[in-house]
Amino acid sequence: MTEPQDVTTEAQDTAAEAAPTAAEAPAAPTAAEAQAAATAAEAPTTDDASPARADAHDYPETGAHDEPGDLQGVARQLLAEAKVDVVIGWEDGRRGARPVFITEADDADRLIFDTRCVHDLVSYLNPRRTQVAALGRVAVVVKGCDAKAVAGLLREGQVKRDEVVLIGVRCGGVLEVADLPEAVALTADNVSPRCFRCDNREPSLVDYLVGDPQDEPPRPPATVDERVAALDALPVEERWEFWAEQFSSCVRCYACRQVCPLCVCERCVADKSVPQWIETASHPRGNLSWNLTRALHLAGRCVECGECERVCPAGLPLTLLNRKLAQVLRERFAYVATDDPEVPAPVGDYRLDDAEEFIR
Amino acid sequence: MSATPETDAAPGAEILFLAEGELAGLVADLATAAVEVVGPAATEPASPAAAAADVLHGRPELEYRTLAPGVAPLLAPGMPRLSLKGFFLPQTEALFAWRQHGTEIEIERGEASARRRVALGVKPCDAAALEIVDHVMNWDFADQPWNERRVATTVFTLACPVEDGSCFCTAVGLAPDGTRGADGLFTPVEGGWLVEPSTEKGAAFVAEHAARFATASAALVDEGAEARRAANERVAGHLEIDAESVREWIAGHFDDPLLAGLGVRCHGCGTCASVCPTCHCFDIVDETDGVGKGTRRRSWDTCQTGKFTLHASGHNPRNDQNARFRQRLNHKFSIYPLRFGEVLCTGCGRCSRECHAGQDLVEMLAAIDVAARRPAAVGAETESGGPA
Amino acid sequence: MSTVAPQHEARPAPEARPAPTIYEPNLMTVIDLVDETVDTRTLQLEFKDEALRESFAFHAGQFGEYSAFGAGECTFCIASPPTRAGAIECTFKTVGKVSAALRELNVGDTMGFRGPYGNWFPVDDWGGKNVLFVAGGIGLAPVRCVIWNVLDRRDEFGDVTIVYGARSVDDLVYKRELEEWAGRADVNMVTTVDPGGETPDWDGRVGFVPTVLGEVAPSAKDTVAVVCGPPVMIKFSFPVLADLGFADDDVFTTLEMRMKCGVGKCGRCNIGPYYVCKDGPVFSATQLKTLPPEY
Repeated sequence: MTEPQDVTTEAQDTAAEAAPTAAEAPAAPTAAEAQAAATAAEAPTTDDASPARADAHDYPETGAHDEPGDLQGVARQLLAEAKVDVVIGWEDGRRGARPVFITEADDADRLIFDTRCVHDLVSYLNPRRTQVAALGRVAVVVKGCDAKAVAGLLREGQVKRDEVVLIGVRCGGVLEVADLPEAVALTADNVSPRCFRCDNREPSLVDYLVGDPQDEPPRPPATVDERVAALDALPVEERWEFWAEQFSSCVRCYACRQVCPLCVCERCVADKSVPQWIETASHPRGNLSWNLTRALHLAGRCVECGECERVCPAGLPLTLLNRKLAQVLRERFAYVATDDPEVPAPVGDYRLDDAEEFIR
Repeated sequence: MSATPETDAAPGAEILFLAEGELAGLVADLATAAVEVVGPAATEPASPAAAAADVLHGRPELEYRTLAPGVAPLLAPGMPRLSLKGFFLPQTEALFAWRQHGTEIEIERGEASARRRVALGVKPCDAAALEIVDHVMNWDFADQPWNERRVATTVFTLACPVEDGSCFCTAVGLAPDGTRGADGLFTPVEGGWLVEPSTEKGAAFVAEHAARFATASAALVDEGAEARRAANERVAGHLEIDAESVREWIAGHFDDPLLAGLGVRCHGCGTCASVCPTCHCFDIVDETDGVGKGTRRRSWDTCQTGKFTLHASGHNPRNDQNARFRQRLNHKFSIYPLRFGEVLCTGCGRCSRECHAGQDLVEMLAAIDVAARRPAAVGAETESGGPA
Repeated sequence: MSTVAPQHEARPAPEARPAPTIYEPNLMTVIDLVDETVDTRTLQLEFKDEALRESFAFHAGQFGEYSAFGAGECTFCIASPPTRAGAIECTFKTVGKVSAALRELNVGDTMGFRGPYGNWFPVDDWGGKNVLFVAGGIGLAPVRCVIWNVLDRRDEFGDVTIVYGARSVDDLVYKRELEEWAGRADVNMVTTVDPGGETPDWDGRVGFVPTVLGEVAPSAKDTVAVVCGPPVMIKFSFPVLADLGFADDDVFTTLEMRMKCGVGKCGRCNIGPYYVCKDGPVFSATQLKTLPPEY
C-alpha cells in the first residue's frame, strides 16, 4: 500500500509526461502545407498515379478505387461489406462542416476531415438517442478527444466495445468554429485553445486510423492553463464575483448538456421535479446551481472536447471550469482523461491508497 | 405581402432624414423624457478564436440591449444574436407572488403597465415576428404582459442589406425593408438615415422629435429606394417556396421519410428556439422563497426537449428527436398557418446560423418545397390528410 | 465575454397591476374531500369570491388549472356537473409533484383554480337521444360530470346506459354514486372489474370494459357514446362501438395531453392542428382519427 506522497509523486510524473515541454509553435505555412497534404491524401483517386497499395480496393460498378487507409475508403468498405449500417462523420454543409450520417457506400465521398471538424460525434452514441440507434450498427469518426469520450462511455457501460466501430483520425487541432465555407489553416489566433498540448493526436482506441501525421496545434495567445491560473491567482471573493457574473448570463438552454458526450443520464438531475433539486428559471441562484452541479457531475468524466463552450449562446467559459476540475483530478487522484478504457474512472473506482487527507 | 418601397410610408407623408449627427441628440431627448431606448449594441466576439476565424466577415457581433440613457444604438449591418422577442416575452418573467398566512393565501401582483420605450435599428424580420406572435397571444384569451409591452413600445426597423445566405425573409412573405410589427422604417443613406413612419404611433414619434428630422432630398430618397430594391432582389435568390403547398404537404405526409428523419443530428438543445424571433412556447413553475412564500414564473421552453410532452405517467407522445424536430416544422409551417393564416417564421436564418449540429432550415424547406410541387402521381402518399 | 443580454423582466414600476392577468388563479377553499381509492381523491372547492360563487358557470367536459401554491398547477376536468351550482369538484390521482401537494391539503385550506377552459360535450345536441357512457378507472371523472348533467335533465334524453370498470373493486371511483346510479330505474348501470380484481362478495361483472361493452351490446340507433379511460381501454372500445354500428361522429372522448397554460399560448398541448386546451379536450372519434399518433 503506497503512501499518499507516492501518489502525488506519481501524479507529478504523469503530469510531466502528459505535458511535454512546449516547443516553438510550428510556422503557419508548415501547418497549412501539412493540412493540404492530408486533404489531398484523403481524396479518393480514380486515376492511379501512385503504385497501388496491397490492401487497396476496386469497385468495378462505380469505377471507384480506394486506399482503405483513407477516411472515405474505410467508410465505403464498411458499408459495402455491410459491417455497419451507418457511418457518422463530418460533411460539407451549406454553411460549413457538420455531422453526417452516411448509410450508403456511394455517399462515403461526402465524408471530410479538416480544421472545421470540431464536433464531438460521440454524443450520438448516447443510448437515449433512439433516432440514431434506429439506424443500426454504427461506425463513428473520432479525433483523439472524442476517443477519450468513447472510453468514458465504455467504462460506464453505456456502450459495448463490439457494438461500435471507431475510425480514428490523426488530428493537428481544430478551429473553434465549424461554419466556414472552406477550411482554413490553423494559426495561433484561430485555433481552439483546448487543442494546445493535446496528448492524444493519434487516438489508440480505434479500429482504423486514417489520415497523415499532423503537426502540433499552434499555441494560442492565452492557453487554458494560463487563464485558469489567472483566476486561481485572484482572491476568492473576486473569483466568486467573476463566476457569479458569468452565470447570471446563463439562459438555461441546456445546450451544454445536450452536446456533451458524457451527459447521458436517462433523467438529468435538472429535469427532476420531485424534488426540484435545481430551479429552472434563469436567475442567478438557479444558474449557479445548474452550472456547478453539472461541472461536478462531470469531474473525472469530462474529456475537455470543448463542445459545451462552443455551443453556449451566453459565451460562458466552461472550459475553464472543466480544466480546473481536471487539474484537481490529476493532482489528487493521478487521473488524466485517457482513451484507454482499462484505466478505471476515478469516480467509479476506489483504491485503498486514495488520497484522503482532505476529508475531515 | 412583401412591402414594396413605394407603399411603405403612411400615405401622403413626406420622407424624413435623420443626419448621423442628430442621432445622439435624439437619444438624449429620449433620455430626458425618461423613455427607454432599445437597440443593437456591439459586443465582444464570442471568443478571440471565433473572431480570428472571422465568421462574421468583419461585421460586429451585436445584441439588442436596453441602452443606458443617452447611449445611441449601433445602426449598422449585422445580425443581433438573439431576436427582439425577449423584450416582449422575457426569458424569465414573474407572473405573481404569493404569501401564505395560516390557511389563507395572499397573491401579490406583478408590476403594472410596462414602461414607455422606443426600439430603434430593429431587423425587419424581428419586428414582423411581433405581429405574427400577436395572433396566438390574443387568441380568445389576451396575454396582458405581452400586449402591454407591445402597446408601450414604438418600433422602427432598419432596412437590412441581407446578412448572408441563411436569410430568406421574402420566401415567407416578408421583406428586408418591411415594417410589419413596427411603426416606421429607417433606411441607411449617405450621411444618415431616411425615416418613414408607417403607423400613427410612428408619426407621433417623429412629430414629437421633429427638430431632429429634416426633409429628405430626392437624391437621398432615390439612393434609399435603390438599396432596398437591391436587398429584396438579393434575398429572393436565397430561397423561394410556395408556402401553401408546403403547408399542405406537411399536413398530409406525417410519416414521409423526408419529414420524419430530420432529427438525426439534432441534439435537442433548443438553441434554435431561443434565438428564434417567433418561438414563444413557455413553461410555468412555482418557486418557493423560504416557507410560505414564493413566485410563479414563466420561462422560455421548447418542443425540442425530451420532457416537453412527457406525461406524469411516463408516457411520452414524442419519444425521439425525429418526432420532436418534425413538430418544429409542423408547428411553424403547417399548424400555425392553418390556424392563423401565416407561417410562424420570419426567415431571419438564426436557427441555421446557430445550430451547432448543422441543421439547415433553408435546405429543409427547399427539399419540402420540391416534394410539395411534384405532380401528385409521383410518390403519392395515402396518409390521411389534414382535418377538414 | 457574454454575447447575450440577460433578458429578465424590466425594473419594477412602483404600482402593482390593478387587475389580474389570465395567469392569476381564483382563490378557493377546500370544503370537502373524499378518498375514492388509495391514491385517488376528490376535492370539493368553493370560490372565496362570493360574487364568483354565484356567477361561475361552465359546461360538462371543460377543465381547469388547479394550483397548489408552491408546487404549481395541474390540469383536471371539472368533475362536478354544471347543473349544480355553488361548489366545483376535481378528482385526481397522485402521480407527481403537484398532485402530491394537493393531497396534502385539508378541509379549510386554500388552493387556486383557473378556468373553465376548453370545449365541452355537446349535451344540448343530444335531446331525444339515448346516451351511452363507457369509462375505465379514473376516466370516470370527466364522464361523471356529463352523467349528472344528463341525469339532472333526465326527461330530455332516451335510455341512459353506463358501462364502467376498473382494475379491481378497490380501484372503482365514486363508489357511492355507482350505487346510486344502479338503484335508479331510469339508468342501466353495468359495473365490472378486470379478471382477478373481484372480491368474494362482488356481485357486478368480471371482464375488461371493452369485452363487457360487447356483451351489453347497446343499440347504436339514435345513441351517442361518451368514452373515457386509459389509452388501451379506448383503443379496444372504439372497434366494439364501430361493430355495434356507432358512427364516428356520435362517439366522443376527452383527451389527456400535457397542458400548462390552459389558454392556448404555451404550446405544450399542440397536437396536429389542434391545441387540446382550446379545440379540446373533448373530441369526436372523427376528429381523433385525423390526429397524428402523438398522444
